[in-house]
Amino acid sequence: MMFQISDVPRLLPELMLAVLALLVLGSDVLERWADDPAARRERGRAAAQLTGIGLGLIWLVTLVQGGLAFTIAPAGAAGPLDALLSLGRNLQAGGAERGALLGAFATDGITVMARLLLIGAALVVALLAGDHLPDAHPAEFFTLLLLATLGMCVMAAAQELIIAFVALECSSIALYVLAGYSARQPAAAEAGMKYLLFGVVSSAVLLYGMSLAYGVTASIGGADGGPPRVNTSFAAIAEAVRVADVAQRGAVMLAVTLMIAGVAYKLALVPFHSWAPDVYQGASPTVAAFLAAASKTAGVFLLVRVLTAAFPDVAGAAGANGFTGWAALLALLALSTLVLGNLAALPQDVTRRLLAYSSISHAGFLALALLPLGGAAPLRDAASAALLYYLVVALIGSLAAFGALAALQAAGVADRLEDLAGLRQRNPLLAAVLTIAIASMAGLPPLAGFTAKFAVFVGAWEAGAAWLVVIALVTTVIALAYYLRVLRPIWMQPADDRPTVSVAPVTAVTLALAALALIALGVLPGPLWQLAQAAVLAR
Amino acid sequence: MSMIDAVPLSWVLTLAAILFCIGLFGVIVRRSLIGVLFGVELMLNAVNINLIAFWRYLEPNLVAGQVFALFIITIAAAEAAVGLAMVIAVYRTRRTIVADDMRNLQG
Repeated sequence: MMFQISDVPRLLPELMLAVLALLVLGSDVLERWADDPAARRERGRAAAQLTGIGLGLIWLVTLVQGGLAFTIAPAGAAGPLDALLSLGRNLQAGGAERGALLGAFATDGITVMARLLLIGAALVVALLAGDHLPDAHPAEFFTLLLLATLGMCVMAAAQELIIAFVALECSSIALYVLAGYSARQPAAAEAGMKYLLFGVVSSAVLLYGMSLAYGVTASIGGADGGPPRVNTSFAAIAEAVRVADVAQRGAVMLAVTLMIAGVAYKLALVPFHSWAPDVYQGASPTVAAFLAAASKTAGVFLLVRVLTAAFPDVAGAAGANGFTGWAALLALLALSTLVLGNLAALPQDVTRRLLAYSSISHAGFLALALLPLGGAAPLRDAASAALLYYLVVALIGSLAAFGALAALQAAGVADRLEDLAGLRQRNPLLAAVLTIAIASMAGLPPLAGFTAKFAVFVGAWEAGAAWLVVIALVTTVIALAYYLRVLRPIWMQPADDRPTVSVAPVTAVTLALAALALIALGVLPGPLWQLAQAAVLAR
Repeated sequence: MSMIDAVPLSWVLTLAAILFCIGLFGVIVRRSLIGVLFGVELMLNAVNINLIAFWRYLEPNLVAGQVFALFIITIAAAEAAVGLAMVIAVYRTRRTIVADDMRNLQG
């Protein structure tokens, strides 16, 4: 298990992200002398464009390299495109087949899917932020965005505790700063502080769980005198858990509980959610979009890795055939999140707080989708595909919704529900995007959210958690009430003398594409479903 | 007599657990933001004691536990740096670092 030079291409997207982050940072260092407002805006736009172009390139490289969507045929007739094709062939040659890098970094289909999602989310956020720049040091903003994306991508591929922790902190520390980026505004400083405090405490809890998992593994693996091994790798932990006796199982369950609690903060699962509404409201809306879309997705991928690779033997069940293991823990978290998240959203008057609670309740669905991952192979694979599908749809939905709110804030619209009044006349495009995103979040049939929720429900039902599916269905109906509260001022109330809202062209195109994607994925779920299944099976 | 013979592993783990709980208690009850960061530091160091104890008692010939503790020390320093910077930013905007006074953001 040595690192070979031919393994470098397997890390290509991450390496490119790191290089791009340094490039963006360096590009602004050279421009520091230009500090009048116009020049600063120009600098910011340059940083946004460099980030956007770079991320687009990395996304394409990931798409080609992953080989999930298509594979390039082996060398054929030399044509005008042959140079380009052989570049693609070389990229795909560094594919996923060869197991985890050094036993610590998986480059399988799930990693590819995670990279596409997270880098895509960062790309959308960079495009939106280009028209909604922070008031100071724009290049550092984008560097932090890129570093957070890098951490998330590594997190989604981790097969070892130390890598998982370092990647988690790489993304978290960058996100703390991003959340408090406009530090001169009291709300942003407060949001950053709250996010940081909750973040560091939960990472300490996560670490305590990790240290216990390592301890159990070392106490079993250290004694047998076999070949030296890394007792923090998920494979070693899974092996130790398999042979653990009753007392050790107790320590393992404590470790799993603490680790789930630590990651649950990233997902904003109740009762680890209390930072989310404040941070989504106080941070700049583009950062809120990134938190709601990418950070949550990365947390789910980390949970998938930890639970399925390190603790498959304490999966347990959460239905008629017992209530044990981490499935039961996730079921309890899903239950509290679905009920409390949806009920707490009902009385909200600030649009972003309302969407924050809706995002919390989405985390409940994600926990529900994680439940069946401890089961037997065919069920588990279908459930993993459903989880991936839900992640894609939730990511696009929250990017569209929070992106529309960012555009509104950039245009000077205040953030209470009544400020949306008559949006259909003031800016039809934003009204349509918000409506589609919210209808998809609510799970209304022609849109992607319906298919995604349906797939998750089927998976959880077949895993035996029928009671939870029933509760989730009831909360979905409750959720309609507050989603309609957002839509009512947009479509029903007159604009009166509120001014029209203008949107920058890049933002308009990005948001329109996201909304179209939600419609397309709802009408034609097939291609994405096949992609998700291919990703699950490409191990 | 070496330390390993004199002190059983369970004592060290108990010490770490107590430290962790003291840290968590501090995080919950301290009202000053700096006090909260102290508490977090205690929790992280409790984890380090755990890791080093597991490494020394159970697999002294391998390195994973030690390396993990080193990474935690480094990242705890980074977190403390960002945390203190954030405390200064909060202090500049509102002239207080008492956590209860941060109630700008409410529905």
